Amino acid sequence: MVVIDDDEAIRISCRRILSREGYAVEIFERAAEGLARVREATPPLLLVDLKMPEMDGFAVLEEVRRTDPGVVVVVITGYATIATAVLAMKAGAYDFLPKPFTPDELRLVVERGLERRRLIDTSERLRREKELAQRRFITFVSHQLKSPLVAVKQYLDVLLYTAEDTLPPRARGWIGRSEERLAEALQLIHDWLALARVEQGGFASPGACTVLSAEIPRVLEQQAAAAAAAQVRLVSEVPPDLPAVRGDVLAVVTLLENLLGNAVKYNRPGGSVRLRATRAGEGVEIRVEDTGIGIPADRLPHVFDEFVRVRTPETTGIPGSGLGLTICRAIVQDLQGTIRADSREGAGTTFTVWLPAGAP
Amino acid sequence: MSETKRILLIDDDTDFRASVRALLEREGYQVLEEPAGDSGLLTARAARPHLILLDIMMRERTEGFFVLQEIRRTPGLADVPVIVSSSLYSEHPFFRVREDAGWMPADLFLPKPLRPQQLLEEVARLLARAPQETAP
Repeated sequence: MVVIDDDEAIRISCRRILSREGYAVEIFERAAEGLARVREATPPLLLVDLKMPEMDGFAVLEEVRRTDPGVVVVVITGYATIATAVLAMKAGAYDFLPKPFTPDELRLVVERGLERRRLIDTSERLRREKELAQRRFITFVSHQLKSPLVAVKQYLDVLLYTAEDTLPPRARGWIGRSEERLAEALQLIHDWLALARVEQGGFASPGACTVLSAEIPRVLEQQAAAAAAAQVRLVSEVPPDLPAVRGDVLAVVTLLENLLGNAVKYNRPGGSVRLRATRAGEGVEIRVEDTGIGIPADRLPHVFDEFVRVRTPETTGIPGSGLGLTICRAIVQDLQGTIRADSREGAGTTFTVWLPAGAP
Repeated sequence: MSETKRILLIDDDTDFRASVRALLEREGYQVLEEPAGDSGLLTARAARPHLILLDIMMRERTEGFFVLQEIRRTPGLADVPVIVSSSLYSEHPFFRVREDAGWMPADLFLPKPLRPQQLLEEVARLLARAPQETAP
């Protein structure tokens, strides 16, 4: 452990008492040197004096919390006032030791601090193990769920391709329906997995950014076939000098795919989808506006919830997992942006997303 | 008359192999099957197929990637066109194979289930491009 105190007597006695207990103790008079050592060695415990001439204990505390949050910090305070101790604890210290202290008091505080550190380590390890197990479970289950569906769909695909002409019409029809139902199930598994991944977050890691002026045309291109089949016109307004936004490209693309996909799906023949991206504050606003069937006012507050699908005569027969907008919301939240839905039933829906700018 | 082209399917799913085999045989290809990476490599070395259709997630989650690297390291197999077929994209929604990254030296990546028309077109295209004779 590391002890930082400008008072030599305290430093020496800390080292003597704690060494006798078998702890490796490094002592520093200057805060800067002690901090450098903490950064280098990340000891389980740091004892730091609150009142020192060059850099006070609060500054040290703040710095350690920022750079090595796993280090348990105990403050040594000359003013044995509750107020100072409370301030230090609020700033992230685990415990405090008022001067003057007895060897027993020191030992007790150190033992408690180290116990705290062991608990942190254990819970961190358990959290990681749990996360890994969860991820493995999701991958395993999805593989087990998907493999049979893929094998069945492959049979039907080959059957239709090789024997379509010889099949009676009803058989052809039923195979066609089976293909559609399988596609729905595969889509559901896909969306469920996407949601599981999205809920883990981490899409805004340093340096992750997306150049919308490059990605939006690709997403539009990808939606072109579905739009043409639905007789929906896709229009976009994206200025070429749009700033890049924060976030992993695949996450931002997933967001755009979902919003555009919905706008096409819940539209009408002859309708349109307009995507507009504009600079807004320290970020970019993306509006996806459709002239589709709209969302009833009483359903609008729930559209981002899991497995919520708007059931009206007009949405009957439109396939969907009810997870697309939940995925969108999770991505936007992870990127610290905002998402909003406005709609008029029978006239259309507009989704407005704002994402903070990211360094390209 | 040119020799019948041999295609090796390496995939752990019996049903997937059966349907794809039927499709390829109908087009006049000779089809060999292996259910795992190691036996697939042995057969590839012995039979010298003209094209390999390779799954990724078999017993190990990334088995196919290792098989692919091994194929590329094997003299006489290094130039054989390999189509990697997997439902990897949809099982890992935020995973994409960067085709320009060079770390996965497949000639083509096709998602499962395979679209029959597309598979046959790509197989024909890759076989036409491949060196004409690879004697066993």
